[in-house]
Amino acid sequence: MKSSSALWRTIAGLSTAATLLLLVGFVYALKDVMAPGSGALWNPVPSGDLSKAAPKTSSKQINVATLGDSLAKGTGDDTGQGFVRRTIAELQKNQKLPVNLVNNLGVNGMTTKGLLPTLDEPGVQYVLRNANVILLSIGGNDLFQGAQNVSSGKPLPTYKELSAEVDKASIRLKRIVDAIHQINPAAQLVYVGLYNPFNDLREMRVPGNQAVTEWNLKASEIVNAYENARVVSTFDLFVGNTQKYLSDDHFHPNGDGYQHIAERIAQGIE
Amino acid sequence: MSSILPLIKNETIKMMKKKRFYVVLLVLVVLVPIFVYAQMKIAQNNREKFNSDWRLAVRQAITDNQNSLQSARVPEEWKKYRIIYIQQMKYYLEHDVNPQEPGGVGFTREFMDNAATLFIPLLIMAVASDIVSSERSTGTIKMLLTRPVRRWKVLLSKLITLLMFVSLIVVAAFIVSYLISGLVFGYKGFNIPVFTGFQLHGSDVDLSGVHAVPQWVYILMQCGLIWFVSIVVAMLAFMVSVLVRSTAASIVIMMAALIAGTILTNMASAWTSAKYLFMVNLDLTNYLAGTPAPIEGMTLGFSLTVLAVWAIASLIISFTVFTKQDILN
Repeated sequence: MKSSSALWRTIAGLSTAATLLLLVGFVYALKDVMAPGSGALWNPVPSGDLSKAAPKTSSKQINVATLGDSLAKGTGDDTGQGFVRRTIAELQKNQKLPVNLVNNLGVNGMTTKGLLPTLDEPGVQYVLRNANVILLSIGGNDLFQGAQNVSSGKPLPTYKELSAEVDKASIRLKRIVDAIHQINPAAQLVYVGLYNPFNDLREMRVPGNQAVTEWNLKASEIVNAYENARVVSTFDLFVGNTQKYLSDDHFHPNGDGYQHIAERIAQGIE
Repeated sequence: MSSILPLIKNETIKMMKKKRFYVVLLVLVVLVPIFVYAQMKIAQNNREKFNSDWRLAVRQAITDNQNSLQSARVPEEWKKYRIIYIQQMKYYLEHDVNPQEPGGVGFTREFMDNAATLFIPLLIMAVASDIVSSERSTGTIKMLLTRPVRRWKVLLSKLITLLMFVSLIVVAAFIVSYLISGLVFGYKGFNIPVFTGFQLHGSDVDLSGVHAVPQWVYILMQCGLIWFVSIVVAMLAFMVSVLVRSTAASIVIMMAALIAGTILTNMASAWTSAKYLFMVNLDLTNYLAGTPAPIEGMTLGFSLTVLAVWAIASLIISFTVFTKQDILN
């Protein structure tokens, strides 16, 4: 009987303490969720600022970061590697230094318009600061967004419309390249040039080729303003080879297409 | 009051003698290491991929979610979760705070969050389900009621005992999880800042109310909310235990209700009046973390009200039935 009395006292004490503690937690939770603005319940906990954080990757290796659209992401490649992973594999073959992928920030459907504001994000800047090779693929969606819904019966864009788009988007491309250089002036920047995905559409072949050439020329002008930046050409790869190197969606490269792009990128990286 | 204390004491000793509470502890001690191991594997994987730089891992997670937003195959409701997740992760990144700082405390926070709707209610049922029904199936209820004590006092003493054990179980879940995960992840992390106060309007996140609290405060608030949920579940289980003679049946009824809640929540339904069911309102910690509620229009106040109404109703039913019913056999 004595032991059960002791047991009772222990349980009663513990559970009273537990109940009070939980009740306090419950009341604080109510206060915090219902009126979060009023919050000076606790002194603000000091938190850092990512824009000042120093990069952590070793400078004794090749650190690759990728920005841009579905090509950067690797859409169309059945193996999912895209030109990014394939470039890294190529580099690993040829380079003595270890190669490391920092981040691949390629997002399907990304345009110059969409990419520009992300460069203000501390998280993206941090990724770029951690890289010494930056791969950029952007612009394809700016030019061909209209043409992508060929099947939906919309009229195909004319050369005039494409050319106007080239003018507008290239201004944004310049701002993107400038911003990347400002964030990490030491990194090599590789811009992946555009190809004409509509080579196999007779109505789009010539206007598409013209607009893409125009774009690539503009891109070269912009990119070549910087010493450690360059454009990798993909245009010639796909002329007459669309069957061979494009995936089933007739827009993105397939594995072989990406492989060729990757080889070209890897060739230029010191 | 003086006459009810001995009754509570009696019930408490019975509860301990039945060893239910030890079973609860045992379940925790067996299951927590499994979760710890799984979490350890995830941490290892991330370390290899991102050179142990959490910032890169978080930034990649943002991009991955952005990519899934572009997919036409992802349902709209899931997109809402992702949009909100992206915005919260960006906020953490901007302030250079790791949303998943490894450590025993962080693990425990995650564990409690996941345990709130099913696991802890299950443990509660282990002590609640047979608290009345077992007296009837074993026949001891006659001994109890032949004493010169009013029936409602007998039932009240059982209810209070149950609530005492509810508090103990919630705290025990925290302690066991912390002690075991600390072995692997270390015992630090009470002062790591955690952001709370994300206000959701559709898929927009209002960041104006966001503020940091130390992790221990967050866990305290989280456990407080879980405690409230547990009390409601306990009261419902208590009612079922009064109404149903067989302990097995009462466990099955409660289990079915809880699991139905999980399924309904995942359906994130177009059936909006489902929000008046208690089981879709169990995830109160969502409101703290800024995760969208399963059904449009649910707020913390709403969920608390729904739960409270269910709890009070079940108490009224329990007491009327127990004081009026004939004890046969």
